[in-house]
Amino acid sequence: MQRRLANFNIWTVGAVLIILMLFLPNLTIVTGFFTPSNDNWEHMKEFVLRQFVINSLILTLATAFFTILIGLSLAWLVAQYDFPFRRFLKWALILPLSIPPFIGAYTYHGILNFTGAIQTVLREGFGMELDPAYFDIMNLPGAIFIYTMFLYPYVYTITQVYLSEQSASLIESTRLLGKGPWRTFFQVVLPISRISIIAGASLVVLEVLNDYGVVKYYGIQTFTTAIFQSWFGLGDLDTSIKLAASLMGFVIVILLIEKLLRGRRQYSYFSTKVRPLQLIPLSGWKGFAAAGYGMLILSLGFFIPVIQLVDWTILTFGTIPMEEFMRYVQNSVFVAGLSAILIVAFALIVGNFARMVQGKYTKLLPKLTVLGYSIPGAVIAVAVVTAFVALDGYLAPLYLAIGLETTLVLSVSIVLLLAAYIIRFFAIGYNSIETGYDKIGTNFRDASRLLGAGPTKTFFKVDVPMMKGAIISGFILVFIDVLKEIPLTLILRPFNFDTLSTKAFQYASDEKIMEASQASLLIVGISALAIVIFYKILEKEMD
Amino acid sequence: MFVAIEDVSFSYPNTQAPALDRFTLDIKKGEVISILGRSGSGKSTILRLLAGLERPKNGRLVIQDETLFDDKTFLQPEKRGIGMVFQDYALFPHMTVGANIMFGLSDMKKADKKKRMREMLELVELEEYEKRYPHQLSGGQQQRVAIARAIAPNPHLILLDEPFSNLDAELQGKIRKDLREILKKANITSIFVTHDEKDAHILADRIVKLKDGKMDFVGRPCDMLDTFRQEAIAESEEVLKSKPVVHV
Ligand SMILES: Nc1ncnc2c1ncn2[C@@H]1O[C@H](COP(=O)(O)OP(=O)(O)OP(=O)(O)O)[C@@H](O)[C@H]1O
Ligand SMILES: [Mg+2]
Repeated sequence: MQRRLANFNIWTVGAVLIILMLFLPNLTIVTGFFTPSNDNWEHMKEFVLRQFVINSLILTLATAFFTILIGLSLAWLVAQYDFPFRRFLKWALILPLSIPPFIGAYTYHGILNFTGAIQTVLREGFGMELDPAYFDIMNLPGAIFIYTMFLYPYVYTITQVYLSEQSASLIESTRLLGKGPWRTFFQVVLPISRISIIAGASLVVLEVLNDYGVVKYYGIQTFTTAIFQSWFGLGDLDTSIKLAASLMGFVIVILLIEKLLRGRRQYSYFSTKVRPLQLIPLSGWKGFAAAGYGMLILSLGFFIPVIQLVDWTILTFGTIPMEEFMRYVQNSVFVAGLSAILIVAFALIVGNFARMVQGKYTKLLPKLTVLGYSIPGAVIAVAVVTAFVALDGYLAPLYLAIGLETTLVLSVSIVLLLAAYIIRFFAIGYNSIETGYDKIGTNFRDASRLLGAGPTKTFFKVDVPMMKGAIISGFILVFIDVLKEIPLTLILRPFNFDTLSTKAFQYASDEKIMEASQASLLIVGISALAIVIFYKILEKEMD
Repeated sequence: MFVAIEDVSFSYPNTQAPALDRFTLDIKKGEVISILGRSGSGKSTILRLLAGLERPKNGRLVIQDETLFDDKTFLQPEKRGIGMVFQDYALFPHMTVGANIMFGLSDMKKADKKKRMREMLELVELEEYEKRYPHQLSGGQQQRVAIARAIAPNPHLILLDEPFSNLDAELQGKIRKDLREILKKANITSIFVTHDEKDAHILADRIVKLKDGKMDFVGRPCDMLDTFRQEAIAESEEVLKSKPVVHV
């Protein structure tokens, strides 16, 4: 700290302010938890809290198990073996990530329900009248299936990258020692990829805890739905805060478990170079089995829902007035674009701060900002609203002084929503920017300073242009995450402000599944395209 | 004295041993100083302290009557008027050779900047390379661009960190001669770090030897040869003494 005091300037001030802005709202949750409780909370604690905990536990554990099973097995096949369609599957297996789970949830419900494709074919094609209960997906196992199909890519990508590099020689030498593929898998692959599996699975678990769309649609009670219910159903924000704090406690336990399991090793994904590895060809039925397995997962996680969405879109095209639809598109692009720009800009400032400061404790400051990603959207929503209502309270005299009628200004504006997005998704942008800074190092910066450029000129003329790749990928990742976002947008949007995702969610909730498809298809299309572009950029950077 | 380094100490954060311990040195205008020393002896650290990239723990730094550092002052690197050639050159990869050289010429008219840039290219004999990007140049050419970039703003002092380490032997010889000519032609005071004695002898007016962050020797290259010879003799005598004689 002392040594760098001389660098105390507008950039440092900016960085510290951003860090505080990202971190402080979450404190309101902690303080809120210790306020005196009311009847609703006592009632919930006594009768239903247990059920929330059990449901959330089942959902997270089962989803973690199945995503690891599928993600790891696919990663292992792609990293070690050569089989038909391998090159295509290698990147295509990431595509299910472009379908937000709630869209997958209502699409599968639509496919499987009485009037849906499967039952209709069975009934009319084969005259089979089966018990509809067989096709009921709106329950815990159904939700687990949905989460697994659309979240396994987190485990798959991280593990696949990992298995393709560090461990190559290790696996090869195990093979040379004459162990068969199964023993290699259980005795070597599984233990060495532990860290990447944990990294991927904890992302999955955090996504499951964050999810509101799927559980709400399938009628499963979890923490997230309870937060909504007590807030909007009972109008009881205090109880929401207490629920949110409990959920955060849950998340903290998970993060601690992750830390414990991971040990002292850090795992950073998307960062290292891939070195080509000798693939083992799988011939005959083995090759077809591997390709078939990959294709099956890809179909369930991507092709089937997309085909269904396309079908519905064609059927309902024109039912939503074009003008109205374009407004949703505009709103979506506006909030996603603006928050992505702000996040990248803030991440650049904080990242720059992070690499310049030297103190032991100041170095920890930037780490605070990435907490937001582990905090479920519903919790952030509660925190941000609490913070903004308080802020409006402070600013009330100012509002009255400039002649406004109301003292609730910021807390009903779009600023609220943008602030929440920034807190929640900052880590996504920051990861990318931090990697960018790591890559360019500090020499160029030093050179620029010595040539007479101050910190500001250096930032714009040297740092930013050199980090184009990191900036673009950070922007894309945040953009698609905001585009798909549900709970924050639903709670915090200004009156009458709809985006593609809130509209898709509302149509689906009103059982207008087909109408929901147009907005959904657009979200999926944009996300899929962004993912493809992202991986192309990444591949180029790796060369 | 043109450059005065007085009693400067420094240690990197979270380390125990000082990287530089009570270092003192005066440099005359136009003098070429070479810093020699083992890896880790603190050579780069001196340059970084002079440049303002690190902050000394105590001591004083003065250039031409302007205090860069003392108890009360710490002048930011961009205000010091010091040029530096980095070990890996640090040429901005997104700018052409011309733009790299003009980067440091901020308060000049566009036409003047161009003129100065061309002069610099001429000095380092790279007139035709103005429009190229750094990655389209050879290692030696990159190094000459880095020197041109550092000299262009007319710094009081230029620092070079192992300027020859990335070059093959043949190129090293040529660049060494070029560098001395360039430095003398421009009459720039300079300090360069090297671990190669030959560099130091050919280039330097004075040599400073560092050992574990402390000054070990300072003097003209010819003086050093004497101490060296003495050291070498002492060492070989010791070796002879400690070696058991083997009878066959
Ligand atoms: N950023 C840093 N953090 C902590 N210690 C450092 C740092 N940079 C250098 N050191 C330590 O300070 C001492 C001096 O380092 P310095 O870079 O000045 O050595 P050098 O003489 O330039 O060596 P070389 O010839 O290898 O470049 C070394 O012991 C080194 O380990
Ligand atoms: Mg060095």
